[in-house]
Amino acid sequence: MAGAPTRRFRYRGRVVEAREGETLLAAIARDALPTLERSTRYHRPRAPFCGIGQCTGCLVRVNDEPLVRACRYHPGEDDRVENGPGWPSVRWDALVVLDLIFRRGLDPFRGFRRPAVAGPIYQRLVRRLAGYGAPAPVSGRATEAVPPVVRSAEVVVVGGGESCRATAARLVTLGYRPLVLDRDRRPGLVGADWLGGVSVTLLGPRVDEGAELPFRLLGHAETGAGLSVRARSVVVATGGYDASLLFGGNDRPGVLTADAALAFSSAPERAPFGQALLVGGDRRAEEVLARLGSRVAAVIAVGEVRPEVVRAASDLGIPLYPRSLLLGVIGRTRVRGLRLRTRGGGPRFSLAGDAVVLAHRRIPNAPLLFLAGAEMAWHAGPGAYYPVLDAAGTTSVPGLYAVGTVTGTLEPARREGAERAAFAIAGRAASDSEALPRVRAEGPSELEGYYRELLTEPRRGRWIACRCEDVLLHDLETANRGGYRGLEVVKRYTSLGTGLCQGRYCTPDALLILSVLEGRPPSEVGRIRQRPPVYPMPLGTLAELDDSVAGEVG
Amino acid sequence: MNNLPRAEYRTVVVGGGIVGLFSAYHLARAGAGPILVLDRGFLSSGASGRNGGGVRQQWETRATVRLAREAVRDYRRFGREFGYNPWFRQTGYLFLAESADELARLRRVHDLVRSEGLASEVLAADALSRYVPGIAPGSAVGGTYLRSDGVLYPFPAIWGVYEAARALGVDLAFGVEVLGIDSEAGRVTGVRSSAGPVATTSVVNAAGGWSSDVARRAGLDVPNVATRHEILATEPLKPFLDPMVVRASDGLYFSQTVHGGLVGGLTLPHPAGTAAGLPSSAKFLTAMARALVGLLPRLRSLRVLRAWSGFYDDTPDGLPVIGEDPRLGGFVHANGFGGHGFMLAPAATRRVARAVLGERTDLEPELFAPDRFLAPRLPSTAERLLLG
Repeated sequence: MAGAPTRRFRYRGRVVEAREGETLLAAIARDALPTLERSTRYHRPRAPFCGIGQCTGCLVRVNDEPLVRACRYHPGEDDRVENGPGWPSVRWDALVVLDLIFRRGLDPFRGFRRPAVAGPIYQRLVRRLAGYGAPAPVSGRATEAVPPVVRSAEVVVVGGGESCRATAARLVTLGYRPLVLDRDRRPGLVGADWLGGVSVTLLGPRVDEGAELPFRLLGHAETGAGLSVRARSVVVATGGYDASLLFGGNDRPGVLTADAALAFSSAPERAPFGQALLVGGDRRAEEVLARLGSRVAAVIAVGEVRPEVVRAASDLGIPLYPRSLLLGVIGRTRVRGLRLRTRGGGPRFSLAGDAVVLAHRRIPNAPLLFLAGAEMAWHAGPGAYYPVLDAAGTTSVPGLYAVGTVTGTLEPARREGAERAAFAIAGRAASDSEALPRVRAEGPSELEGYYRELLTEPRRGRWIACRCEDVLLHDLETANRGGYRGLEVVKRYTSLGTGLCQGRYCTPDALLILSVLEGRPPSEVGRIRQRPPVYPMPLGTLAELDDSVAGEVG
Repeated sequence: MNNLPRAEYRTVVVGGGIVGLFSAYHLARAGAGPILVLDRGFLSSGASGRNGGGVRQQWETRATVRLAREAVRDYRRFGREFGYNPWFRQTGYLFLAESADELARLRRVHDLVRSEGLASEVLAADALSRYVPGIAPGSAVGGTYLRSDGVLYPFPAIWGVYEAARALGVDLAFGVEVLGIDSEAGRVTGVRSSAGPVATTSVVNAAGGWSSDVARRAGLDVPNVATRHEILATEPLKPFLDPMVVRASDGLYFSQTVHGGLVGGLTLPHPAGTAAGLPSSAKFLTAMARALVGLLPRLRSLRVLRAWSGFYDDTPDGLPVIGEDPRLGGFVHANGFGGHGFMLAPAATRRVARAVLGERTDLEPELFAPDRFLAPRLPSTAERLLLG
């Protein structure tokens, strides 16, 4: 767009321009997906993976402030941007020897015990290498105190996507003025109070039950301002996100979720890949094909492929590989291809590509529901926990509703579900309405069989079960052999799920793997108890919030 | 019939946290098997898996200083003995005083600690920034520091003792609740559990926050009270802070792990008892953030990663309860550690094992024995340096 305002900032010393509204990541990933940091334990190169501000793939330093998510940050004029940790640099990190020496993994708790006199030396060494940078100076950019936003609302809708809009629009016609809290910056809606760029991190009714406005929501805006909202009813429309998948080298730069790939799709000609290997055979894959079609080299599915995807791929002349096991990435520093095997003992083969886009499983973004104490039930189809709902979309917590992808309601019934919630809030719920079709609850998960088969294959390279903490599939197996069972115990034994994404990208697959290893259904392997905040929240922001109102979660 | 490996045990330990595991371990080493450990949750689900990992020797009571000193020696050699490295890092505990009165109190602790041969130091206000880089000027008038105190990762310590106990033949059953403790003629005869009954002549109550519930199931009234304490962890920063920092006035404590994240808590008044479960409160997050940012302004942009809570098992005099209950033969207390079970467990449980075996311990009965709460007057000695 000619004439669009730009901002000039320095990335690793050179001047880069960002267009208005463009994220830091989009601005520095014009030609190729950049390697922005090294992983915590093995110093493996890491590049953007999730694209939605949750993973540890794009943590950079901005004006000396560490831990800035490049995919969420909008650069300011004259910002100084540096890569995340790496010694001496992210590109050439000498500590990658750890990755080469400890091929079977590095056990921080059973290792480093001998000789005993070396204990303090190990500790100093590890501390020297740990962490994401020194605390920012007091004058840093995001450190200024910003007065919090304090609101009360009859109805709060958390979300911003289609189901959120449908609920909000219906509420408006019913005479409400809903307050919508959107993590992204999407266009608002006439008649609604629309706050974009705010993350709701805590939602709890526990102490205030029976009060006029029983719900308390805490959050923060990208500006650093805190958010404190009280509400009578809350509609959770937080959608879903694309899950990870376990295979050799699954942390290699170039492996990314469909969320991340689509974040570049506003200008597909500038997507930082040209030959993506798209993993998935369902609606999400269809969506990626529709938006990035020319940049996809092959479609690979762990199971069957929907006819719509077959049609779309054949229209574009893209080959299809249904029922395939992903064995490993080809390429030492970034993706150059994939090694595969047709399921059921079929032939091994490989495909060339410069990215692996994961669109095989979209799972509910449900932490707020867990925190609010809503009853959740395992749904085997996608292999995830969804809220228990009545036909009007009410959760087990009175006044708390869920609509859209987070409920597992299938298209095209999501719009109906969204409207029902609005009618229920207005006290006009139809008492005889039938339950809407949702994702399959019973039976085995599709991926369970996949992983059972995959675990019998010989392995090459590292299989990263938890990207944030560099936990290996091998570590899960060690825990299992030691008698450590159940996701909560394995989490504590291996550190899986204790990193910055708080388990979003590791636990969905770890649950299925452990189910195979422990020989019991995933729902018995359990789940990790959700802890607040849902999104890491700055201390300075929390410090500005008043604590006069009670509210407990978890 | 029950779903447990045996129908009869010499000792049943109730509680599979660090105190119960260490008690079982010491008993098994003494050859006092067979031993069964029962726990209502999963391994590490209680306070042993929820604490900040601090291990200190600065206390107001001499007996506690001695126990803690022994525990520090145990944790120093833990890696060699148990095969797991808890990364016990002896970089000190720093107590901050905000007033002359508080400093005077810390000085008394300092004198006691020094008289036990530990190299405690009193720090002037201008020396604090050496230990806490970036501390806001004027936020404390001084403090005390003991370098041989430290922090560890609780989890590997649990795994180590758990595996050692198992290797010695101890049976462990998790997800099993104790429903009742049977007795005859004033002596323990068995335990009824959700997995069925077992016969036994001795029970160790190491149930932490649930210890008063367990005692009640044996028909015993004890003054222990469970109080909920909250804690949080932040994203990892490059390590800049060595000691565990504790502020007496509001119970603020925090340290930086080997990994780089800050872990710490602050005391808020929560209703007593385990009934409300273990939620996290908005009040804690905001109060803790204010306390941390007030003390270290440059942490403003550091983000809270997660918050959780756990139960202290508090006693009226702040000292643990160790020994056989005079009202019920074979019922041995190993509880009331407040928030300090992890710190004292390796040493205190040696005495627990001796008590189970009917041997004398070196613990002053007036300080630790359960009898002390049965007298009409409360004990005269108390430990009040309870936070952090």
